[in-house]
Amino acid sequence: MEKILIINGSPRAKKSNSKQYGELLASYAQLESETVVITKRNHAEICQKITEYEHVVFVFPLYADSIPATLLQFLIVWEQHLTAQTSRPYFHAIVNCGFIEAMQNDVCIEMLQFFCQKNKLEMGSVLSIGSGEAILGTPFKVFVQWKIRQFARSLTQHRFKKYEITMPLTKKMYIKASTQYWINYGKRNGVTQAEMATMTIE
Amino acid sequence: MKLVLSDTALPLDFSQQADASYINLDELKIATCIGCFGCWTKTPSKCVIRDDATKVYPIIAKSEHVIYVSKLQYGGYDLPMKTMLERAIPTQQAFIRLVDGEAHHVQRNVPLKAATIIAYGNICQQEQAIFERLVARNAHNMNFASVRVIFTSEAQLETVVMEEVAAWKKS
Repeated sequence: MEKILIINGSPRAKKSNSKQYGELLASYAQLESETVVITKRNHAEICQKITEYEHVVFVFPLYADSIPATLLQFLIVWEQHLTAQTSRPYFHAIVNCGFIEAMQNDVCIEMLQFFCQKNKLEMGSVLSIGSGEAILGTPFKVFVQWKIRQFARSLTQHRFKKYEITMPLTKKMYIKASTQYWINYGKRNGVTQAEMATMTIE
Repeated sequence: MKLVLSDTALPLDFSQQADASYINLDELKIATCIGCFGCWTKTPSKCVIRDDATKVYPIIAKSEHVIYVSKLQYGGYDLPMKTMLERAIPTQQAFIRLVDGEAHHVQRNVPLKAATIIAYGNICQQEQAIFERLVARNAHNMNFASVRVIFTSEAQLETVVMEEVAAWKKS
């Protein structure tokens, strides 16, 4: 039976939304799965582990419009480990961005496709999530669960596909909701909206 | 204010010019962003990691003309430049606004920029096309009023940068 290695590429690692997306995937996957978190010191260990799996799923947030440096660093190391003899798993990804438009992940996904092509890896399924910072804390979480179920099934059935999900809100409603989300975030740290909105840098 | 931000050493010396800076990222110690949102919600506009990045992002913020010089990696910036750009988020607020109908963060005191991105390395057409699309996305998030992308080889890099800097001096 095939197995899935879920690789959390979020710099926030254990406190990340990517962790939660990965946990949902593990719970819906009909295949056996294991999860690892990329750290500064375990790149070689993960490269070795990947050879035991048929599927790898990278779960990570969009950073500055593309792959976060934490994951980029790992991909560069992995590329060096991918010799002609190395077994190649299917490469899947769950990418989330904080903005409501899931399409803001598209260039990042193209970069992953380029990585796969360069290294003779087969790109499998992709789930592109918009409003990924907040959606899990809203009633719209069920939509994400639904998409991750479909994503998980596509791995088992080898029917690879690109999925997309975001909050079904107008942009105006999204901005209002996100403003409140960040005000509450600051409040928990004792920081006011006006302080958060400072125009001075450093 | 003008800035050349590079991931490799270049024969530039702006010490006699008060309005220009040259930063070689290769000489700096810059850790990766840990995604803590501290610069938005705990110490607004200040990164909680007090390394060399804290000297760089205020200069990025106040520059009206920037030249970014970076090797490419999978159609994006290579690690040194990518790490720095991620660490520059204290220049933005957590709050979201619409730019050309798309959601993006509100900028703090960051003037619009004329940006030139010089990407070097052994770059195929497909990688060029991806990078151009990436820079177009960056334009929204990094306050570029105009942007030009130049692709070159590592061997030609110095010549290309010096031409761009000379064009700055004439303008």
